Amino acid sequence: MDIYTSILGAADAAEHHDRLHHLAHHHAVDVLRLSRADLARRRLRTRTEAGLEVAIALPREQKLFEGALLALTEDRALVVRVETEHWLRLAPRDTAAALRLGYFCGNLHWRVRFEQAHVLVAVETDARVYLERLEGLLAEGVVTLLPDAGAAK
Amino acid sequence: MTRISEMPDSPAPGPARVGIGGPVGSGKTALIEALIPIFVERGVELAVVTNDLVTKEDARRLQAGGLIDPRRVVAVEAGACPHTVIREDPTLNIAAADDLEARFPGLDLILIESGGDNLASTFSLDLVDWWMFVIDVGQGDDIPRKRGPGIMLCDLLVVNKLDLAPHVFVDAQAILAEAREVRAGTPVIGCRCKGAQIEGVAEIADAIMRAVLFRQVAA
Ligand SMILES: Nc1nc2c(ncn2[C@@H]2O[C@H](COP(=O)(O)OP(=O)(O)OP(=O)(O)O)[C@@H](O)[C@H]2O)c(=O)[nH]1
Ligand SMILES: [Mg+2]
Repeated sequence: MDIYTSILGAADAAEHHDRLHHLAHHHAVDVLRLSRADLARRRLRTRTEAGLEVAIALPREQKLFEGALLALTEDRALVVRVETEHWLRLAPRDTAAALRLGYFCGNLHWRVRFEQAHVLVAVETDARVYLERLEGLLAEGVVTLLPDAGAAK
Repeated sequence: MTRISEMPDSPAPGPARVGIGGPVGSGKTALIEALIPIFVERGVELAVVTNDLVTKEDARRLQAGGLIDPRRVVAVEAGACPHTVIREDPTLNIAAADDLEARFPGLDLILIESGGDNLASTFSLDLVDWWMFVIDVGQGDDIPRKRGPGIMLCDLLVVNKLDLAPHVFVDAQAILAEAREVRAGTPVIGCRCKGAQIEGVAEIADAIMRAVLFRQVAA
C-alpha cells in the first residue's frame, strides 16, 4: 500500500500540464474520488478508481483539495477529485417559513447554501435522513422540496 | 508492502488524531482505559486529551489509573456545550493536541475524548482524522433508530456495556443489527469495557490501526 504524506501540487498547474496530458493518453492517471466532507481529513485509507489501496497522512497545515496531485512519476499520476455533491433544494413559503427553516437547519448543524429564496442542504448521509427530519415542515406545506436537487454546484 | 511517498523536506505528518464522542456515561473513558494496555502491547505510542464541562475529572482518572504516563494526558475545560469545542470551534482541542505532539515527538496516536453530549454531536475533521461514537445498551434499544448525526456520521459506532443487556431488558444482538442497518454497512462494533470479561476492545484497536495508523492487522 502506498502512503502519501504530501501534496505535490495542483493538477491544473501549467508545470504539470504536459506530463499529465501524456499520462492521460496512456490511461495512467488514476483518480482518488472523495466526498466533500472527506477532503477535510488529514489521514485516511481508501481505494483509487483503479482499485489500488492507498493511505494519506498529511501534515496538519496541509489540506486536500479538488485536483490535488498526490503522485506524478514517469508512468503514473494520482489526482484527487471531489464527488458531485447532492443538495436538497428547499423553498420556504414566506418569510415566517424561511425563519423557521433556517433555524431548523442550523439547529441540526446541516451544511447549507442559500440561492435567492432557496435553502440548499448538503446531503452528507442518506437523503432519507434529512427528509424524515423535514417531514413536519413539508407536511405543513410551509416548505417545499424542489426537484432540481442535484443541479447545484 | 508499504511504500511511503513524500517530497524531500516535507514536514512529518505527526500522530493520528482520533475522536471519541457519545452521550454522558456511555463509557468513553472506560473504553480509553481498556484500549491503553492493548496499544501499549502493540507498541503504539499514545496520548490522550479529555474534555469536561468545568472540571478535569476524566483526565485525573486516567492520570491516576497507572496505565499511562500522567504527562501524556491533557484536559480541556470546555466551559460550554461539549460539542462546541469539538466541532464549531475546536481551537482549544487542537492546541492541546499540538502541545502533546510537541512534548512527545514519538507519538503515533492522540485520542480525544469529548465531553458527554447528545446524539447530535459530531467531530470537526479539522480536529480529528477519524472518530467514533460510543453509545451503550442501557440507553434503550431504540437509540440506533433515532439516527442522530453522531450515530450516522461517525466512522465507527461502538455499542458498549453488552453485559448489561439482560438487566435493562434489551436484546444486544438486535441493537447491533439495527445499528448496522441504519448505518448502511459502515462499521459497528459491540463491546464491554469493564469487568473480568472484556470484549470487542481489541477489534476497536484493530479498526483504529487499520484506518489511521495503516498497520496491517489480521482481518
Ligand atoms: N457494566 C458495564 N459498565 C460499564 C462499561 N463501560 C463503562 N461502564 C460504567 O459506566 C459508567 C460510565 O463510564 P465512563 O467511562 O465514565 O463514561 P464516559 O462516557 O466517559 O462518561 P462522561 O465522560 O462523563 O460522559 C462507569 O460507572 C463505568 O464503570 C461496560 O462495558 N459494562
Ligand atoms: Mg469520560
